[in-house]
Amino acid sequence: MSLDSAPAHSLIDEVVGAARRVAPGADVSVSVGAGRSANTRFACNTITSTGDVDDTTVAIGIAFGKRHAATTTNQTDRGALRTALDHAVRLAKIAPEDRESMPLLAPQRYLASPAAYDPSTHHLTATARADTARAAIAAADAAGLQIAGFHEHSGGIWMLGNSAGLRAEYRATAASLTMTARTGDGTGSGWAGALAQRAAEIDAAALTRVAVDKAVRSARPRRLDPGRYTVVLEPAAVGTLLGFLVDSLDARRADEGRSAFSKPGGTRVGDQLFADAITLVSDPTDPQTPGAPFDGEGFPLRRTTWIDKGTLAALTYSRFWAAKQGRPPSGDPSVFHLRGGTATTDALLQDVQRGVLITRFWYCEWVDPQTMLLTGLTRDGVFLIENGAVTGPVNNFRFNESPLTMLRNADALGRDTVRVPDAGGRLRVPALRTHEFNLASISAAV
Amino acid sequence: MFTRRDVLRTGAAAALATVGVTTRERFAWARGLLTDSLLDTTVDRALSVAKQAGASYADIRIVRRREESVSTREDHVTGVGFSESYGLGVRTLARGAWGFAAASRVEPAEAARLATLAVEIAKANARVIKKPVTLAPAAVHVDVWQTPLTKNPFKIPIADKAEYLLAINAEAMKVPGIKFCSSWCSVLGEWKLFASSEGASIEQDTTRIGPGYSVTAVDTAGGDFVDRAHELQPMQAGWEYVEESALLRDARRIGEDAVEKLKAPSVTPGKRELILAPTHLWLTIHESIGHPTELDRALGYEANFAGTSFATPDKLGTLRYGAPIINVYADKTTPGGLATAGYDDDGVQTQRWDLIKDGIFVGYQTTREQAAWIGENASRGTCYAQDHKSFPFQRMPNVSLAPGAQDLGVNDLIAATDDGIYITGTGSWSIDHQRLNFQFGGQMFYEVKGGKITQALKDVAYQANTVEFWNACSLVGGAKEWRMGGSMYDGKGEPVQVNAVSHGCPAARFQQVNILSTDVRKRGGVP
Repeated sequence: MSLDSAPAHSLIDEVVGAARRVAPGADVSVSVGAGRSANTRFACNTITSTGDVDDTTVAIGIAFGKRHAATTTNQTDRGALRTALDHAVRLAKIAPEDRESMPLLAPQRYLASPAAYDPSTHHLTATARADTARAAIAAADAAGLQIAGFHEHSGGIWMLGNSAGLRAEYRATAASLTMTARTGDGTGSGWAGALAQRAAEIDAAALTRVAVDKAVRSARPRRLDPGRYTVVLEPAAVGTLLGFLVDSLDARRADEGRSAFSKPGGTRVGDQLFADAITLVSDPTDPQTPGAPFDGEGFPLRRTTWIDKGTLAALTYSRFWAAKQGRPPSGDPSVFHLRGGTATTDALLQDVQRGVLITRFWYCEWVDPQTMLLTGLTRDGVFLIENGAVTGPVNNFRFNESPLTMLRNADALGRDTVRVPDAGGRLRVPALRTHEFNLASISAAV
Repeated sequence: MFTRRDVLRTGAAAALATVGVTTRERFAWARGLLTDSLLDTTVDRALSVAKQAGASYADIRIVRRREESVSTREDHVTGVGFSESYGLGVRTLARGAWGFAAASRVEPAEAARLATLAVEIAKANARVIKKPVTLAPAAVHVDVWQTPLTKNPFKIPIADKAEYLLAINAEAMKVPGIKFCSSWCSVLGEWKLFASSEGASIEQDTTRIGPGYSVTAVDTAGGDFVDRAHELQPMQAGWEYVEESALLRDARRIGEDAVEKLKAPSVTPGKRELILAPTHLWLTIHESIGHPTELDRALGYEANFAGTSFATPDKLGTLRYGAPIINVYADKTTPGGLATAGYDDDGVQTQRWDLIKDGIFVGYQTTREQAAWIGENASRGTCYAQDHKSFPFQRMPNVSLAPGAQDLGVNDLIAATDDGIYITGTGSWSIDHQRLNFQFGGQMFYEVKGGKITQALKDVAYQANTVEFWNACSLVGGAKEWRMGGSMYDGKGEPVQVNAVSHGCPAARFQQVNILSTDVRKRGGVP
């Protein structure tokens, strides 16, 4: 499908119109996502796999009162759409009632989001991607290292419509480049990565320098015992832990007493849970955090402050739970920004007598949702900090720690914030320094 | 020439011999709108254009995926959905490099465009590769394969599935202290036609089903809660798997388990004997044996994402991976296994082979591209792509622990243990990027004293090193309680692709494993 909005609009009109004929009285909602994504993958200093995919997804929701069902298809010809529509109608007719289902949204007004679509990123070629890989491989060859990486770009349009007249449209591109360099003896590993709306904003040479430099500097690590340490977390590490926190902002779970934001008789909104320096916001109008100004239902997303100078200020409310609790719904936020502080990278290290600098985490999983306790591992660059400076590489660790504690004990935030690649770009975070971080055991992995 | 249609018409495929007409109908149904003539012309066009454009090898996968899901909570349905996607992906080798392009319109003109693009991409990549890709020789197959089942789960009415799930919720909610219950059932259908420039033509239709539920017990006054999920495993099967299961029968017990866990004492950390039920151990096998023995990972192909492996080729044949009673095999033929198929996505017939023999590391998972990397002359048949738009690469087959020589059940293991902990079901899991340091939780935890279960515990996790852990195995249960567990959603690669995979095992016991308490509130670690 073309990325022009007209065909998607007419597709939505067609489905809504057909539904009126075959299922009079039904509420109809349609979501269309169409675009291209392409990638080049390299490892062992050679290109290993690749892909170039055009794809369209059409989701059709049908509701007869409180009975509802949804179907999706990736085919856009009239026959396939009609089949998907008929199937949704059949399923909705026999679906048991969902007493929590909400009526369709009427047309909404959305915040003007900054331009997030870049044609040159959408149309990037295999040759351009191969050239990026070639430059990284050449740098690794020159340094005698092994390198692996992934370069991906996508561009597309997302449109919503329903039989109550709502229409919403968002068009975006994204490009990412991540790479991991390793020393030949297998004792050193360094990672660097970036995600941007425009491929041209990614400085591949700079990322390669960071990955190569970290691989070399992390080789032959000395043993550091497990324990509770002051840690300086680079943005990738912060983003991974913060992702669990932002996914736990659901007010319903807190009200139901099964969330880290529950307390007897209510929620922790209004409580000072974090350090004063911590402010977490969502703002789809901020060019630094481009995101759709609406959620999957077409609900308009607003600028929202979730954590305000350390105080939990708000939780997310679905339309159902908001109505039940007499609160305004929040929608499902598309982006989050943990505001930066004032510290340069050197300043984050400066006051650390003995601590650990961590590049990123791996395989982080829930251990206890009640305390938001997570476990996971460090990887690709862990360094000892002594007397305000990095003094050398140390082994990797398994941690058992909570993002609540990370943000409560934080005492300095980096000045610069970046979009974290592994969260699909939805999180923008700074590096930060925090204390008493539980590095629970040694991992011999490199 | 013998075609897939001949195979279907005559029932010549081994897997179909007993299924007959139903099978042909199921194939027709699984294909949806894709007719024989459309498939034939699309395949021919892709392969001929790829060859004309300079491909030394090409293959095409036309894949149709269907997923139906029903979900409920407490007394109502929360979602009913059906998704379908299909399309074609063309993979080419040109000048020794891979190219791949995919789209959703299955038609000859689109196949030609994708074949041309895939060859262009391959040629762009060829400027950067260090050595050309070579494919191990493989027999050329023309065949069909299908999940054996008796009740097609897509044909069971949604209302019946919802009624079944709501009955579970109602039963579990009768237990005092149970405040919430969520239940679900997912059915996945994967129909795939694979054809290659070497003449292979293979049609396969796979059906997987994943039912389950989870209850929450809440202590409102104390501000405490625990979850307890049923331990029924997803399987390659029909609706009969659900009907024959204990899902509904167990609902009250699962609720009672949650209440018991909520009130249970927190574990005292320390080293203890550990007895792991098959509903738990499958995941430990997956993480600490399944992934480390993927050859691409061991050689650095996954270094930027999932990591590498401690089990490098120089250790093949010498590493004592586990105790001599540990025998682990890879297998894409076990009936019901989520990764079971007739052929892989290189067109190689599936098989069974050893990964660990009498405790020694002896085998890897390979594809046609990889076999020569370790001096083998044939692929093990583990190539897979999750859908038409994904590049096929090495994915885990079912990897299973063979039963021990004595036919011991879990009760025998408990009776033989003086001071230990027994874990069932999976909870939290995490392992490092070379598959050494791991930490696992579970669903239920029991203290074992003097050969008997004495009480339930909570806040339990264990932490270990892969090689030390498997060498500490002191008892392996027998065939009578060998069971498969698995996941529909194992992730690997960039972009991430999911693979469904099962792991069979009996219960097993491990000596002196490091047990942690995950209750950090005692230490004041979290507000």
